[in-house]
Amino acid sequence: MPHANQAIPLDEEAIFDAMPMEEEGQFANHATPLIRNCWYVCARRDEVGRTPISRRLLDTDVVMYRTRDGRPVAMHNRCPHRAFPLAKGHVEGDRLVCGYHGMQFEPDGLCAHLPAISHVPANACVQTYPIADRGPLTWIWMGDANLADEALIPELPWLASSEWGSVTGDFHIKADYVSMHENLIDQTHFPFLHPGTVGTPEYARASMNATTEGDQVLIHRRLDNAPPPGIYGKPADIMHKNVDRTSEARFVSPAVHMAHARIFDPQPEPGKPSVYGYYITHCFTPESNHSIHYWWFNSRDYGIDDTDIDAFMYEASMQAYYEDVEALEWIMDVVLTDNEAQQFELSFAPDKPGLMARRIMHRLAMAEHG
Amino acid sequence: MHGQHQAAVVLERRPLTERICEITLGKADGTALPAPRAGAHVELRFGGKDGRFLRHYSLVGPLDLTSSHEPFWRIAVQRENRRRGSDYIHRHVTPGTSVLISPALSPFRLTADDGPVLLIAGGIGITAILPILRACVMRRREVRMLYIGRSRAAMAYVEDVEALGGDAVTVHDATSSRGRPDLAALLARQPADTTAYVCGPPALIEGTRQAARRLGWPAARVRHEVFNPAHKEEDQAVTVHTRGTSVHVSPGHTLLEALETAGVETFSDCRRGECGLCITPISNVEGDIDHRDRFLTADQKRGNRQIALCCSRPRSTSIELDL
Repeated sequence: MPHANQAIPLDEEAIFDAMPMEEEGQFANHATPLIRNCWYVCARRDEVGRTPISRRLLDTDVVMYRTRDGRPVAMHNRCPHRAFPLAKGHVEGDRLVCGYHGMQFEPDGLCAHLPAISHVPANACVQTYPIADRGPLTWIWMGDANLADEALIPELPWLASSEWGSVTGDFHIKADYVSMHENLIDQTHFPFLHPGTVGTPEYARASMNATTEGDQVLIHRRLDNAPPPGIYGKPADIMHKNVDRTSEARFVSPAVHMAHARIFDPQPEPGKPSVYGYYITHCFTPESNHSIHYWWFNSRDYGIDDTDIDAFMYEASMQAYYEDVEALEWIMDVVLTDNEAQQFELSFAPDKPGLMARRIMHRLAMAEHG
Repeated sequence: MHGQHQAAVVLERRPLTERICEITLGKADGTALPAPRAGAHVELRFGGKDGRFLRHYSLVGPLDLTSSHEPFWRIAVQRENRRRGSDYIHRHVTPGTSVLISPALSPFRLTADDGPVLLIAGGIGITAILPILRACVMRRREVRMLYIGRSRAAMAYVEDVEALGGDAVTVHDATSSRGRPDLAALLARQPADTTAYVCGPPALIEGTRQAARRLGWPAARVRHEVFNPAHKEEDQAVTVHTRGTSVHVSPGHTLLEALETAGVETFSDCRRGECGLCITPISNVEGDIDHRDRFLTADQKRGNRQIALCCSRPRSTSIELDL
């Protein structure tokens, strides 16, 4: 994959330069075919056990369970006989047993037993999907199984590290994953949609640098000598002073967005750190073109066992993400129901990082769907 | 599968060997076909508006590692000696010909574990084995392959297979090596926990299974593609008598297809002797039945009181059914 390194300085004057739309349809949107050749989160690892569960992923109902030795299994949640949802059946040994007529399927999807007839028909089989555990999450590949290299699962080591403390939550959102990516990589909305938590008026003017690295988009921002935002400043008890702040936001893949923030306290009080580190991990998986499953993690490298900080971080994160969820659902509703005028969207220079991510998603989708 | 066919059209056709041609199929509405899983097959109906012939073909898929997705399906058809389905394809199917296709089915598939893989292809059986080889290479699974044919010139995709598998592929050309490969020795050389995947003539499949059994391999360690057993070279025309009418069954068609064409109501689903839905009581038959299904038990087959219409035939030229 060629690396196109492209630095795009953004400043105030550029805000009013409309982003040129070179060719219509070059950017993914809610109607673009879903990208299937990608590892997506399908569940929290501890959700998948000996009792089958189901979830709709990329328009397909999937059933998940574990074999006796703990390996995760994912199959189409639909018996090939009469479409009974296999998750309503049960697991026997390593086999998934349909709850309607007792057909038994091995972890590779082949039928091993059909009680009603004396032999096993070779044409009875269920689609399976590559699935793998990493840290607290379980990942699935809904595309071409030949391409499902587990080395492509994004590395998120802080989620499983004892040096980091995390709070986590999840949402089901009636919005598309393209808008979600654009929302996460767009930091110009922070002061307006999230005034109490992540957004400060100073941050809207922070210098920003956006680049692409292969199929990833990366934004660096830096803001010196300004009050910290509440979500970082309050748990660290540094709201009363000015700090320096860097942040890196990354479109990792169609399945993951992550941010790495660091707060530098130039004059730390005795016994307190001079740098506070945060990783914010957003994993989301399209349920359909218009809905997503969303898992978020807010991780920090200080006070990792402090339950008061946990409680604060959870509340503050939930508030911020709920504001995003609400906004994205309102937007999806307008896009899908408002037929009064021709659908359109204007873009401006600060939208470039989001458009870079959407261009990558469009290219990946077209490579699969031609 | 019944009633789930969709309209498709032949996009291109090219000769691979003297007797084998490759055909690519696309959806009639021009939209993309989904990428099939390695080892999948399609049920193809062709030869008229409603499809006079029905055959199963493995989906070959892309031939190299660089083209990751083809929006069409690729099959290869070997012409048989008599005027049957494959002969019809060779004579009449050209770009633009309309056919009907089922969804892709993939009972022939790689195991879920990462164990070593041995592939054995005989003749036209390469069409099911090539995509499995490609999948193994892409997934970096340990793989070895034996491709057996009458002569190199008669072996479809032989160069593609060598390019895909490199040193892992052994080509056994029966003309220059004068004879059959030693399957028992081949299996004995494989690492422990190897699963063998075999596709080709029934004798090759049976030979591999027997060799594996003698070496003490568990039966599940030999996977084979089940061919539609409905058609044999020696098939004759048959007359079916039922409900006061007589239906002529030509050698290239099954009893089921002839009854359907005559408007006789029947039940069927898999059309390759698996599901048992087309099993019908026999009122009278001269001689016995060449049972080709996997549904009836050996005792039931010996009794000759029932027949799987989708694949089995009487050895005589006449049968009376109680439909």
